[in-house]
Amino acid sequence: MDLTLKVWRQAGPKEKGRLVTYEAKGIPEDASFLEMLDIVNSRLEAQGEEPIAFDHDCREGICGSCGCMINGRPHGPGQGITTCQLYMRKFHHGDTIVIEPFRARAFPVVKDLVVARSAFDKIIQAGGFISVNTGSAPEANTIPVPKPNAEAAMDAAACIGCGACVATCKNASAVLFVSAKISHLALLPQGEPERERRALAMVAAMDAAGFGHCSNEGECEAECPKGISLVNIARLNREHLRATVRK
Amino acid sequence: MQSVAERGTLTAPRPAVRGTGKHGVMAFSSILKKVAMALTGLGMFLFLIGHLAGNLLLLKGPDSFNGYAAFLAKIPLVVPVEIGLLLLALLHIASAVSVTLGNWTARPQRYAVKRTAGSSTFASRTMWIGGLVLAVFIPLHVWMFKYGDHHGPQELYGLVMRSFQNPLIAFGYAFAMIPLGLHLSHGFASAFQTLGINRPRLRPRLRAAGAVLGWLIALGFLVLPFWGFFGQ
Repeated sequence: MDLTLKVWRQAGPKEKGRLVTYEAKGIPEDASFLEMLDIVNSRLEAQGEEPIAFDHDCREGICGSCGCMINGRPHGPGQGITTCQLYMRKFHHGDTIVIEPFRARAFPVVKDLVVARSAFDKIIQAGGFISVNTGSAPEANTIPVPKPNAEAAMDAAACIGCGACVATCKNASAVLFVSAKISHLALLPQGEPERERRALAMVAAMDAAGFGHCSNEGECEAECPKGISLVNIARLNREHLRATVRK
Repeated sequence: MQSVAERGTLTAPRPAVRGTGKHGVMAFSSILKKVAMALTGLGMFLFLIGHLAGNLLLLKGPDSFNGYAAFLAKIPLVVPVEIGLLLLALLHIASAVSVTLGNWTARPQRYAVKRTAGSSTFASRTMWIGGLVLAVFIPLHVWMFKYGDHHGPQELYGLVMRSFQNPLIAFGYAFAMIPLGLHLSHGFASAFQTLGINRPRLRPRLRAAGAVLGWLIALGFLVLPFWGFFGQ
């Protein structure tokens, strides 16, 4: 299939970027979106041009490294997939595809489609951990966890921190991500010791990074490749309120 | 490398949830600002239900409406309630301005192409516009009907009906009820979500309740200027 790509090219964080048009001819339908970019890049390199920089790692939808805006949607068309799991058969011969980096004040562009998502790491550092006793690991079944809590915690833990929620939110808000991390730990007894300080520290780190606020529209949930639910945001709000009151 | 046990529970600096923000004003966490907006919004939502119930007495005629106005004027609770409503409105606006300005600066570079996944609504996308219309409408409305040209509560019916004879007032009032309906229909469910009151099964019900209640209130108020303009 032949495609026209409009790709955001930006040489560095301080450089001015722009959309550059490329003709991508003869792309196999079974190529993934990243493989399509690989093909385009090898041709660019053969012509002595700078290849398009993009983030990627596992290419099987579980690491959260890849991600860009494809025709105005994070990870492109379709639901429950990351950019690496998007296949070119979703597009048609002759299509024009606009490819931009995730945009947020908290996610500055490093180069082309690569953005720095260190703000997420800072949020995790602020409270995304638990205290454990040193020594040998305790027997797994000594801590009873109700089945529904285990399920809900596991659903929240599915968040891979790709940043699609921030990218699609009209306010570039990170609350879906933070709510997944908070929920994952708040629902389990292992998260109890730091529960309140976590709910304050992670929100403070989120605010300090310059993300926007939540407008409760649910666009993030609709675009999340792991289907993280808005119900987690309600839990984050409860946890933060509870921690504020008990502080 | 330090173990978690050596580091203690949390090495990150204690969060400045309250303190002096970079703009020199008291800074609350992003979530607490939204909580303030949700609580004040729900407070005003409750008031609107009572306000509408009283105003619908206009349809019953001058005696009922003026009687209701005289009854309200006699209750000593009116002034505290008015002060409370003013505080609710001011706090709602203050948090809304702070939140909205924060949102507008969170993405300095816009997308060339942006599509919705279909979860946002026209109401949710226009909250600030609706808020702006209401922030202009409500002071005008209070000035016109509370401090307007009438001789005590016995004459309030006449003032309202005379005002609605003016097409500018009648249609201006009616027009302002559209952003009100939009604002309430998103705001209701959104407030519950912000307050942490949401479960998978509750969610569609809250959304539906917000849309139905919000539009019922707006349509209820919408009847009044049309009735005043066409009905007599």
